[in-house]
Amino acid sequence: MNKAWKLMRIMVKMQLSMANKSTTEKVGYLLIGLMMIPFGLLVLFFIQGLIGSMYAALEPLGNESVILGLLFVMMTFFYCFISIGTVLSSFYFAEDVESFISLPFEPYQILFGKSAVPFLSLYGLNSILLLPSLIFYGIHSSSGILYYLFAVLIWAFTPIIPFVLTAIILMFIMRFANISKNKDRTKVLVGLMGFIFAIGINVLLRLDAGTGNSDISQMFTQQNALLELITKFFPTAYFSSIALTEIGSWTGLLYFLTFVCLSVAAIVLFLTVGQRFYFKGVLGLSGGRRKTFKEEKMQKQLKPQSVFVSLWKKEMRIILRTPTFFTQIVVQSLFFPLFFIVLIIMDPNGPLTGWGSQLNEMEGKKVILSMFGLTVVALGINPASFSSISRDGKSWFNHLYLPIPASNIILSKLLVSFFINFLSLLLLSVAALFVLKVPLMIWLVWFIISLITGWIASMAGLMIDFYSPKLNWTDEREVFKGRFIGIVPLALEATVFGVIILILWTSGLHGIWSTSAVLTGILIILTVLIQYFLTMMVKRKYYNIL
Amino acid sequence: MIEINQISKSFAGKDAVKDLDLSIPDGKIFGFLGPNGAGKSTTIKMMTGILPIDKGSIVMNGIDVSKDPIKAKLQFGYVPDRSDIFLRLKGIEYLNFIADVFEVSQDMRKEKIEYLTKSFGIYEALNDHIQTYSHGMRQKIVVSGVLLHDPDVWILDEPLTGLDPKSSYTLKEMMREHASRGKIVFFSTHVLEVVEQLCDEVAIINNGHVQFKGNMAEMKQQFAEDDNLERLFLELTQNE
Ligand SMILES: Nc1ncnc2c1ncn2[C@@H]1O[C@H](COP(=O)(O)OP(=O)(O)OP(=O)(O)O)[C@@H](O)[C@H]1O
Ligand SMILES: [Mg+2]
Repeated sequence: MNKAWKLMRIMVKMQLSMANKSTTEKVGYLLIGLMMIPFGLLVLFFIQGLIGSMYAALEPLGNESVILGLLFVMMTFFYCFISIGTVLSSFYFAEDVESFISLPFEPYQILFGKSAVPFLSLYGLNSILLLPSLIFYGIHSSSGILYYLFAVLIWAFTPIIPFVLTAIILMFIMRFANISKNKDRTKVLVGLMGFIFAIGINVLLRLDAGTGNSDISQMFTQQNALLELITKFFPTAYFSSIALTEIGSWTGLLYFLTFVCLSVAAIVLFLTVGQRFYFKGVLGLSGGRRKTFKEEKMQKQLKPQSVFVSLWKKEMRIILRTPTFFTQIVVQSLFFPLFFIVLIIMDPNGPLTGWGSQLNEMEGKKVILSMFGLTVVALGINPASFSSISRDGKSWFNHLYLPIPASNIILSKLLVSFFINFLSLLLLSVAALFVLKVPLMIWLVWFIISLITGWIASMAGLMIDFYSPKLNWTDEREVFKGRFIGIVPLALEATVFGVIILILWTSGLHGIWSTSAVLTGILIILTVLIQYFLTMMVKRKYYNIL
Repeated sequence: MIEINQISKSFAGKDAVKDLDLSIPDGKIFGFLGPNGAGKSTTIKMMTGILPIDKGSIVMNGIDVSKDPIKAKLQFGYVPDRSDIFLRLKGIEYLNFIADVFEVSQDMRKEKIEYLTKSFGIYEALNDHIQTYSHGMRQKIVVSGVLLHDPDVWILDEPLTGLDPKSSYTLKEMMREHASRGKIVFFSTHVLEVVEQLCDEVAIINNGHVQFKGNMAEMKQQFAEDDNLERLFLELTQNE
């Protein structure tokens, strides 16, 4: 076990090291951290309000344990979901796995070490969501010190079982399923899983909403019956909820101890299973495949083209061929529009269908501003932009010794993320024109505004990535996971564009043309401004990020 | 002609290269020797524009590397010490990309790619992703990329590590041929036999300082008491 601890310390150090970060970058992280505080407060405020009102409604019926039950079920769900990605990337896809395997370690020791970082990231979420929620619940139920003591212990134990169960299931899958024979294919499948999951849940919820739920009201009157229903599939959530509601009683203590024992047993089980199955899954993994050589096919690719086209193609090829980039960038960008279309088509008589024809009757300003708002949400999270630099990873330096001006490289990267934005705009356009029947003129205005917005979003994302790129990754997932980077551009754009929308909304403008003209003007000014800062940044930073 | 004037580079306050002064004449194979961590790669990275130069200047064929980087970069071809190139590209795509960057004509690229990759024995692998290449094959594709655009100056960071004897021989012949046309070959290595066989001039560096520079004859003369190069090398670099 001593060896395992040492291994874990080294692995954590390797992944979380700030050693090669300059002081300005550290200050940057601090600033980002500070910027997140208002956002965090907002979330806390929301949680507090939710728990407060739920408590007020459920307490008279003696069903307040449902709040905790829901909370634990939700958290368990989150933990499992997040762990799928982190476990696979840490256990199976990271490049350093091979170098550890050749060292004289037992499989369980490597697993123990490899679990540390994914596990720590769960605790991040745990501290942001679960801890304050438990505290709020404590305040509302005016609990004593004993509650808080148990709450902290339960907080510490909660992530264990979801993480361990997910890891065990994944180890079985990787061991026995055929997918593990090809790393690339596995990665695509895993990437798609999340999206299928999201669409599936949505469809299920919609189907479920139709069926009546008359006995629910009955359950409200029966103590803990509702809790049992909610935690049906999550016994541990039931245990922790009871432990926290029956504080001071023997039942509470018993449930608490059961929960702790289960967690400890889970860890033991995890290491035992890992000892047997981990290596068998890892060792089968191989990257890439080789085809038979066809001379003509190869010769055909030899065509002179401009450096710019060549650069753009190179970027696109890397995105399309790297499974993680493909799922995170292409699939995710196209997901939102597709999801949108699925929603409308699933609901042919719903309020959205043919909604476009009503647009003519609405105030022009409001039409264009709402559509603009939608665009901001759809384009703000373009992963192609905020992975622009980091995607290159250790091969970034190749750009530096080739005789290509920095501005060309940056522009080619911008065009790549703009192109992905463009694709999702096209999809949205199909939805708008053919399903929603938005009038052609309105669509055209929206499309032009969206193109400019897409360009701004691409630049903003690239600048944020450029500010602190992650080049030292060992698995492509690290480019997206465990960095604030996904939220920052969205938060920034939401703020800036939110203010613009708000100002225009309350302004004296009315017509569609005047509003769009002003909006376009503002966007163009923004573009020029950001372009200026980007140029400055490239000049200062381009040759200094290594 | 490459002139390296008093360049320095430090990482986090620690000097990697300090006041390094070198002049590399045309038509010579210049060997750059030193123990691990001596500062060879750091120097080469400054020459190629990968690392900014803290102090001093590098002038390549009359062009200042930091003042006119693009023009300077058109002069040389560089083989890095690590073969972390764009692994998701196919070999042929990588070479085509390099040819586009250096504007090699259609006929020229066809002919050269065929010639180079065939002599290195990687022609049949050109349609595979570089990711599936072995270390030596990656090295060869990078070397082919450099030779493809026929630069005046070759800058090679440990080009022979990982190459099999035949390819190593081919590359050495190519280096000789290049120098005999009056061009520059600048390369770093640890392998003393290679230096003895191949180099016209050498510089030995240790702890970021030049310990010795001159041609092979001078070196042997100056250290006449040393009967072989290995002992000389050890003597020069042991002062720590
Ligand atoms: N990115 C970096 N950050 C910090 N220090 C570095 C970095 N790169 C190199 N160094 C330091 O600079 C010194 C010179 O390293 P360099 O890579 O130039 O050595 P080298 O002569 O090429 O060695 P080798 O023969 O092993 O390739 C070493 O002390 C090394 O630790
Ligand atoms: Mg080196």
